[in-house]
Parts: sequence; C-alpha cells; structure tokens
Amino acid sequence: MNEDCVFAAALSAVPRLGTRRLSAMLAVQSPRKAMEMLGREAPSTQDIAAMKQKLEDGEMSVSYVGAHDYPALLLDDVARPSVLFYRGDLNVLQQRRVGIVGTRAATAAGRYMASHLAYDLSEQGVAIVSGLARGIDAWAHKGVLLALDRDIKSHDSKISARDSHCGQAIAIVASGLDVTYPKENAELWKFVAENGLLVSESPPGTMPEAFRFPLRNRILAALCEVLVVIESHAKGGSMITVEEAQRRDITVMAVPGSPRALSSFGTNLLLQQGCAPVVDATDVMVALGLDNRRNHPQVFDSRRTPSAQDQILISHMRCEAVTLDQLLMRTSTDLVQTALALGRLESEGWVVNNAGWWEVLGRGC
Amino acid sequence: MAFASVRSSTLLGVQGKAVDVEIHVGMGLPGFTIVGQPDEACRESRDRVRAALLSCDLPWPNRRITVNLATSVHERKGGAGLDVAIAIGLLIVQDILPNEIAERYAFIAELGLDGTLRPVAGVVPLVAAIDDRIVVVANECEREARIAARDEVVCAQTLAHLVKCLTGEAEWIPAPTRTSIIVAPPIVDMKDVRGQSAARQALEIAAAGAHHLLFVGPPGAGKSMLAQRISGILPVLTDEEAVATTIVHSAAQVSLPQTGIITMPPFRAPHHSTSLVAMVGGGTSTMRPGEISLATNGVLFLDELGEFAPTVLDALRQPLEDGVVRLARAKSSITMPAKFLLIAATNPCPCGEGMPGVCVCDDSAKKRYLRRFSGPLLDRFDLRVAVSRPHVDELLADTPAESSAAIAKRVLHVREMAMLRSGCLNSCLSADMLDTYAPLTTAAAALLRHHLERGRLSGRGYHRIRRVARTIADLQNANNHSVDQVDEAHVATALALRVGVHPQLNGDKL
Repeated sequence: MNEDCVFAAALSAVPRLGTRRLSAMLAVQSPRKAMEMLGREAPSTQDIAAMKQKLEDGEMSVSYVGAHDYPALLLDDVARPSVLFYRGDLNVLQQRRVGIVGTRAATAAGRYMASHLAYDLSEQGVAIVSGLARGIDAWAHKGVLLALDRDIKSHDSKISARDSHCGQAIAIVASGLDVTYPKENAELWKFVAENGLLVSESPPGTMPEAFRFPLRNRILAALCEVLVVIESHAKGGSMITVEEAQRRDITVMAVPGSPRALSSFGTNLLLQQGCAPVVDATDVMVALGLDNRRNHPQVFDSRRTPSAQDQILISHMRCEAVTLDQLLMRTSTDLVQTALALGRLESEGWVVNNAGWWEVLGRGC
Repeated sequence: MAFASVRSSTLLGVQGKAVDVEIHVGMGLPGFTIVGQPDEACRESRDRVRAALLSCDLPWPNRRITVNLATSVHERKGGAGLDVAIAIGLLIVQDILPNEIAERYAFIAELGLDGTLRPVAGVVPLVAAIDDRIVVVANECEREARIAARDEVVCAQTLAHLVKCLTGEAEWIPAPTRTSIIVAPPIVDMKDVRGQSAARQALEIAAAGAHHLLFVGPPGAGKSMLAQRISGILPVLTDEEAVATTIVHSAAQVSLPQTGIITMPPFRAPHHSTSLVAMVGGGTSTMRPGEISLATNGVLFLDELGEFAPTVLDALRQPLEDGVVRLARAKSSITMPAKFLLIAATNPCPCGEGMPGVCVCDDSAKKRYLRRFSGPLLDRFDLRVAVSRPHVDELLADTPAESSAAIAKRVLHVREMAMLRSGCLNSCLSADMLDTYAPLTTAAAALLRHHLERGRLSGRGYHRIRRVARTIADLQNANNHSVDQVDEAHVATALALRVGVHPQLNGDKL
C-alpha cells in the first residue's frame, strides 16, 4: 500500500484534527508533510503501523484530498471528506447514480417499491447509492443484488458482477468498514464491498455512533445525481439527506403515499414543496436525462390478473394498510368471502399480511 | 379414658385428605405437644384450643397431652381446620362426651379464642374427603360444605353450642331456606362492542370450539373490552364442571357466589406482574391452586401478554396441552385441573401502533419485542386476530350490535353438536379424529398444501387450522347434523384469523 495513503489514514484518526482542517492541509501538501507540520500531535510510529495492519486486514483502500484517485464529485463539495476509506472500485462512480433512501420502519409496500425501483434502474445501468441502513436502504440494495444476479445468470454465469452492464451498488456507511452495522445486513455489506463500492469517512474500528449518521448523509447526497425518497416520517435520516442534497442542488424526488400514512408524511411534504413524484423507474430515467423510450418497459406481470370482485378488495387496501376488521367494514362483505378472496390474492402475491395488517404490493392492476 | 381419635381433614392442592387426630392424655408434666408434621398454623392450635375450652367453661386437663396427626407421617398437615377435632378429642378423653361421637362425626373448623367456630379455606374438598361421617362445619361455610357432601353436614355456632348439640341438649342450626331468586351477576354484553366484526367472530369461534385466542392491536382498540365479554357467550357449566370449579375456588379461598356453587364459567385476569407460583400453583405447604387452576372450565385472560415474565408464560405450555398441571415438590406431588380457554392481548410492537405506515419501530425493534413470546407459545393460539381502533362512524352508530344472548345460543348449539359428533369440543380433536370428523374437500386440502409448502404453517399449525375450520363450518351450517366436509372457504377463514405476528419482510418478490 502506498505510504501516503497510510499516513492519510493515520491522520484521519488523530483526535482534535477535524475534517475541515485536515482537508485544507492535505489540499496543499502531501500527507507526509502534513504529518511533520503537526509536530507533537502527529500519530506515533506504532499508531501508523497499527493503522496499516488494520487497512490490510480489512482489505480497505484509502483516498484523500489531493490524491489522484480522490473522486472529482467530492472535490468541490462544500463539506468534502478529507480521507475516504473504501472497499471495491471507485470507477463505479463513473456510472449514472441515483440515491434511494427512506425510513427504517418501512411498510411492506415501501420495501417492495424500494427493491423494484432499484432493480429496474440497475437493469438500465444506473448505480444505486444508499446507506445500508435497515428498512428502505437495505431493500434498495437487495434490488440491485437481484438485478445483477439475473444478469449474470442470463449470461450463463460466464461474466462476473463487475462486467455486468447493470448498475452497481454504492453504499456510504457511518461506522468503520470493519464494523458491520446493522448486523442483519452483513450479507449485503459483503456483497457491496465485493461487487460495488463501500465507502466510509470513518477510520477502521469506528463504532456506529449516532452523530456519524447525519455526517454520512452529506456524502451520500453528494454522490447522487438524483435522490429518491421512498418513505419517510416527518423527521429522520432521510430528511437530513434531502436537506444535504438540496444544499448541493441535487434533484430530489419522492414516492407519493397515502396522506394518512405517517410513513409517507415526509415524502408527501416534499411533493407539496415541489419535488417531482416517482411512480416507477421511467420517472427517474427522465430526470437523469436518459432516453429509455426504446427500452420498452417490462409490462409483463407474472401475477394473474385478479377478478373484478378481487380488484374491488384491492382498491380498499390501496390507501393504507388495513386489518381484516377494517376491510370487512369497508367492503361490507362477510368474513368467509373476504377470507377466501384474501387467500387467493395472497397466493398470487398481490397482497401480503404484515403482522396482522394487509398491504397491497406493487402498482396493482 | 386416656385416648381418643377424631376424624378431620387437611388440604393439599385441590384435594382434601382425611386425617385422624389422635389425642392421648397421660401422666407427666403438664404440657401440650402436637406431632405428625403440623405446620405453623396447626401448631398454634394448642393455644387456640385451650383458650376456647376455658372460654366455654369446659375443663382443661392439667396433664401431659399429646396430639398426633395420623395417616402419613411424611406429609405436612397445614391449616387451622383441625382445631375443633382436637377440642372434641380432649372432651372425649375427659369423658365429657361419649366415645361414639368420634365414630359418627368429623369436624372441620377453626376455633376463635372465645370458642366460636370459624370457617376455613377449602371447605368443599375438605368435606369431600370424608365419606363415612356427618361433618360439622362453621355456620358460614354450610352452603359450601353441602356442595361436596350430600346432606350430611351440620353446623354449630360455638364450641359450647356444639357440645350441647352432640349430647342432644340443643338443636343444630337449621339449614336456611334457600331464596329462589338467583341474582345473575352483571355480565358485560357483546352489544356494547361497536364495529370489530372480525374480532367479534373470532371470539364467537373461540367460545364455540374452545380455541385459544390472541388479540394483537394498538392501545384503545378494545382488546380487553372484547375479551371480557367472552363470559357472556360461553354456556353455563355442567353440574360436573361446576363442582370441579367450585372445589378449586374453595381450596384457593376465592369468594364463591351467593348460591355457593359456581355455575358461570370463571373469568380470571391476573395482572402481568403475576409470579410463576401464583400462576401455576404451589408455594405454601397446602399447595394453593394457581390462576390456571382457578380458570378451569373458564377463561384465563392475559392482558399485555408481553409484559408477563417469560418463565410464567412458558409454564403455561404443558397445562395448555394436557388440561392439568402436575406440580412436584420434595415432599409431595399433586395434580390440579387446568382446563382453561386462553385469551391474550398484546400490542404488536414497542410503539404500540403496529399498523404499517403509522408504526415507528424498525424491524429489529419489533423482533426484539416479539422475542418475549416464545414461538411454541404463539403456536398454541388457534386464532390470532389483529384489532384496530374502530372508526368514528362505528363508535357513534346507534344501532346496537348482536347481543351476547344471541351469540351464546349459537355457541351452545355448536358445542352440543361437537359433543354429539365426536365426544369432545373441536379444539380437542386429535389428528386422526380430524380425518373422520373434519374431512377436507379437495380445494380446501389444496389451499392448506399451498400454505404448508410456502412454510407459512407448521405441523402443529396445520392441525390447529383444521380444528378452527371445523368450528367455522359448524357455525355456518348450524342445522346440519351430519359429518359434512370442511370446504375451502372455512379453511381460508381460519387462515385469515390466524395471522403471523412477526413482521412480513416480503419486498423481494420480483
């Protein structure tokens, strides 16, 4: 590993040396010089050796302001990170990039939307930027995973994920790259590191402390061309990302939800303020300036079209998740008939029961 | 005469056990010893008996008195119910009463220092343990005592009165004439429940087939309100059940209704701080029955299921399967009835809302919350229903819903039908009985197969769904007594009323 990279990494771990100061220092001189300038504050040789070891163990690469591979996207940023730790390939940033973010407490319909949108965009060669958090973030990247998987299979497994024409996964995380958080996303974490790009501003070993997440969101926003919010409560990490995106003049789009669903409160608020709505991947493609008229959107839905009677039932669930009770009241049919219809729709994949509440999946019929 | 043996009984769990109180008065330093494993309350009886005898102007032998509580030396005898037997024994020894008394009567009552006879806990099982003698009890528990022992029960007011009755100088207290007006306890009615049509039907199915029921819903949705109304739709107890339930309540010293016998199915709703011992029984040397035994032939309602200690909840698993609870301690091992209908209510997640879109808990927070209920316990609920807050229109509607009486009629009918058909309620049908009494149509079998293949149903769940479907079919064709098939609609309804409690993470079906 390049010596300067190790020095830069060690510098980023120095306490009381903020991102802004370090980035200003690295902009004008090499990490070695910066180290000398720091004098007593500079990390010791043991610290540097330990950092080198950690970087090698975690197969991490380092880029810093002033390095030739530092992403140009971030170079002019208002709050650029001084040092970037990453796994994967920085060239993934050359692809068109769409950020998909949203709440951790997502509905089944929200998760469905996130994974489907990410799948469709990835198929068109658009990389998906997200934060690998629980809920929407994780499902967006699961969509990318599936798109890549399908593409590799369609080539009889003769190509690797990197050669696929599909958009890759780009994840910006808050903790150190060797601290997987949340644990349940460990598989995805590994997938992104191996096939896409996994980036963090924090040196290895950094715990996922709460204050790091808003900071992470600024990098996430800076790396997007278009930011799509799937579901968001009135406050939360996604809204911070939106603010950061707006500071950087990045297009923010939102998926409309029922005005009664609190989980769509944030997105509806954005729409009210003038954000463009997203219903499917085409809307995002248009915002990216990509002409996909020739790519006929996949209209084929493997689910069997429900009967007229069942469509009425679906229409009663479309606005928000409902319990069986509410459904019976709205449709004024009896329990047995409704149960039969729900059984049919569930087995076809039109509706899903989420801990007692019924939700419609996808755009429906 | 230096020796007398008087019959009485002690309590262990919900069973009385006859005890012969042997009294010996002989030479030696004046003193009073009780042997034969008495417990603390029992040992204190020597002071009560002495005071009572002196208060009633009856003589006290100033010699060495030894009392032995005979039958088994190893079992601990508890309670103050042996007081009167000791006192009578002392009087026989002093030739104030003839020895034949001990062969004709048994005595179950505590003594006050002034000589009054006081009631004791568990009179019903205590009296039931004695079969060849007339039982003397305190006046207050006369009604309870008669439930167990035919008519061979007499009552006295004080020890002096008792002695006079035994010698024929006074009359026993006559049995009070029963007032024929039975005041029905105020029962909350189903007609007060607005909306909630699925939950109402689930309650009806639970009552008709004795299926365990779990309500999941936000605070204020009416889970507890619904659960409390089940007493009103359950049929009254049969004579056999009534006696069994009364015995348990008597043994646990829970107040009995005015008539002395419990005819309505009991409804027990212990608070979630309930300890393990209070729930399953035991604890004292007499092994007091726990809440699950008190709920026998009735309903055990656990509100805020998630707040109960996990050990308490898991202790319910064996009684739920067997209908009895077997408690073993170093000195004793007993079996108590625990055949109850379990109804529980819980919030779906830490924020309480649960509804996707409103709930603010992420998946891991929900998972952590649901970890409080073990999978095996959740699997034992035949019906799991999500309850939502009723709509304003429903709340303010002035058309009353169906009353408890109308529902109770259907419930009773289905229960009778099930008993006639298979000899047990639908929830008790075993796997091989299901094929005989609840055959599936081809479509119904296909639907179940689909759910089994998708891994949405466990083996236990499969049988439970079939039992519930049987009850639903019974409720639908209430006039058809033949063994009809269970069709797809019934199975679909059973499935819709048994939702998964864990959040569905289905977003990936591309």
